[in-house]
Amino acid sequence: MMLEIKNLHARLADGREILKGVDLSVGDGEVHAIMGPNGSGKSTLAAVLAGRDGYEVTEGSVTYRGRDLFAMAADERAREGVFLAFQYPVEIPGVNNMYFLRAALNAQRRHRGEPELDAGQFLRVVRQKLKLLDIADDLLQRAVNVGFSGGEKKRNEVFQMAVLEPRLAILDETDSGLDIDALRVVARGVNGLRTPDRSIVLITHYKRLLDYIEPDHVHVLQDGRIVQSGGKELAAELERRGYGTFGEQPEVAASA
Amino acid sequence: MSAVLDFPVKPEARPYLDAFGGANSGEPEWLSRERQRALNRFAELGFPSRRSENWRYLDLQPLQRDPLLAGEPRRDVQAPAELQLDGAGARLMLVDGHCRGAAVRDLPDGVWLGSMRQAIDERTDLVRAASLGEAGAEHPFEALNAAYFEDGFVLDIAPGVVLDLPIQIIHFASMSGAVHTRNVIRLGEGSRATILETYAGEGRYWRNDVVAVRLGARAELTRAVLVEEAGEAVHLAEVDATVGPEARFSGFALLIGGGTVRHEVSVRMAGEGAQCRLDGAFVVGGSEEANIVTTVDHQVPHGQTREMIKGVAAGRAHGAFQGKIIVREHAQKVDAHQLSRNLILGQRAVIDTKPELEIYADDVKCSHGASVGELDETALFYLRSRGIPDAEARHMLVEGFLREPVEEIADPALREHLLRRLTQRLEKLEG
Repeated sequence: MMLEIKNLHARLADGREILKGVDLSVGDGEVHAIMGPNGSGKSTLAAVLAGRDGYEVTEGSVTYRGRDLFAMAADERAREGVFLAFQYPVEIPGVNNMYFLRAALNAQRRHRGEPELDAGQFLRVVRQKLKLLDIADDLLQRAVNVGFSGGEKKRNEVFQMAVLEPRLAILDETDSGLDIDALRVVARGVNGLRTPDRSIVLITHYKRLLDYIEPDHVHVLQDGRIVQSGGKELAAELERRGYGTFGEQPEVAASA
Repeated sequence: MSAVLDFPVKPEARPYLDAFGGANSGEPEWLSRERQRALNRFAELGFPSRRSENWRYLDLQPLQRDPLLAGEPRRDVQAPAELQLDGAGARLMLVDGHCRGAAVRDLPDGVWLGSMRQAIDERTDLVRAASLGEAGAEHPFEALNAAYFEDGFVLDIAPGVVLDLPIQIIHFASMSGAVHTRNVIRLGEGSRATILETYAGEGRYWRNDVVAVRLGARAELTRAVLVEEAGEAVHLAEVDATVGPEARFSGFALLIGGGTVRHEVSVRMAGEGAQCRLDGAFVVGGSEEANIVTTVDHQVPHGQTREMIKGVAAGRAHGAFQGKIIVREHAQKVDAHQLSRNLILGQRAVIDTKPELEIYADDVKCSHGASVGELDETALFYLRSRGIPDAEARHMLVEGFLREPVEEIADPALREHLLRRLTQRLEKLEG
């Protein structure tokens, strides 16, 4: 099992409880979509899984490939194969994109006992992935996300994912703010990474992304709990009925 | 030899008066007179007080309590090879304040590079013209330097001569005592040069360095200073620059080593259309102290100034930036911008920043900005979320913060050298 979340409760530093008992199992090679309205806890779930500061887990457990995820620091989780594509990628002036990504890949390789890549070897690895995501070479030479357009930032996230080849990728609203062409490019990048031993969790507000990346399972997160799970047809139903109905009629939804 | 003086001598100046040996043998009389005059001036001024605006952020108490007088220069010392700039067109080495031969690769005609001692004979007019006159009350050590200096270097470039490769001067100190060096850089009309001055050493010493820069019309000078002194060293440097019409002065300073370091630059924008860039950074850790003090004085119209100074302090260290831009009454159409950005690592480090604009003209564009902050936690998490270990991620952010001013340097070999030395310094900086 790739990821097993059991009864996860988490709150903010100010005491507000955001996750109120999330249960979710993600098998190897599966693509899961987590949908929900604003404020339902989607981004908090992504942040807690990636190990961001500012959240306190008060109850429950998360097991990643048989290990307690919370026993690992954020950077160790990443080296173990957990990847979070940020909803708002961070600009880092003065840090070169290529230098940054090579440091990340080499940190992972060291962790696995593999030799580090020099600049030339690294360039060969990334060239072909740049093409896949329609990213210009010069983007590598710029400071991380500085002066990137919204679409470039999102493509850069998926590009990093393609280079780091995670086992578990969590994409937090990667579709937000993208036009249809950029969305296609991003979807192509994600679909290119689908393998039997890699799992993907797509967090999204809209069904649109799921027209391009077909999920195996769809979950509805509402008020800090998963209130409904189903196949990809659930996304279409959500679009038709809206989120409101699920919270109000849990019994009906559960038997659907 | 003890001089009889008819004014009160500041007590902390007394040891320097008592130790003064007078003229160096074979020196011209005018120089001996100047030395004595300068010594008297120092006796009158003494050490700067903390109340003096220009010195308020630096603690000179240890030096005042425990004076460092002229020591015995060592002859058998080699400066480490890593200090050398690869790709320099010429290199001059000063050990313990004395010129120790030059490695000069075909300098073009019209370039004179040599020791101050030699220049006193061969370039007398230049040396006398560049002498800074009576030291102001804010510059007592300039007076002490004028009294005590034994050597230094002089770079004199004739009009129209362009140097493609950078020149490096290495100031290396290895003795216990004071090293007073006096230097002159003059660029004739329309000439162009890049120079790196590296200051390094070992042991406990006090370096007191004075540089006069004179730029003729349309001359362009990039002068980079790399201070990587020994941990116990005191480094006080004063640069006095005069920039002629449409000339361009780029002064860059990277202070990455030394117990107490002060880098002061005073620029007189004397010709219309003169341009000045002052960029740089200090990095302090442990209990180190570093100050960058700049004054740019626009005396005539149409000048342009750009300043970007960054600071990083860790441990119990203290850094400070004081920058003043003056625009005189008739200096219309001046465009000046100053930026001071600082990063504090840990709970006990301190950084002071004091930007100051003094504007008497009414048609000018002047601005300044200053900030002191901590590492951006969001950026740190972003790097860590990609697998980069915490310490490495912090290091990357600090280096990224400091790269900006260094990347303004046009010469690629010089830029790479400075970035390499900076990276090595940061590896030893505590979180």
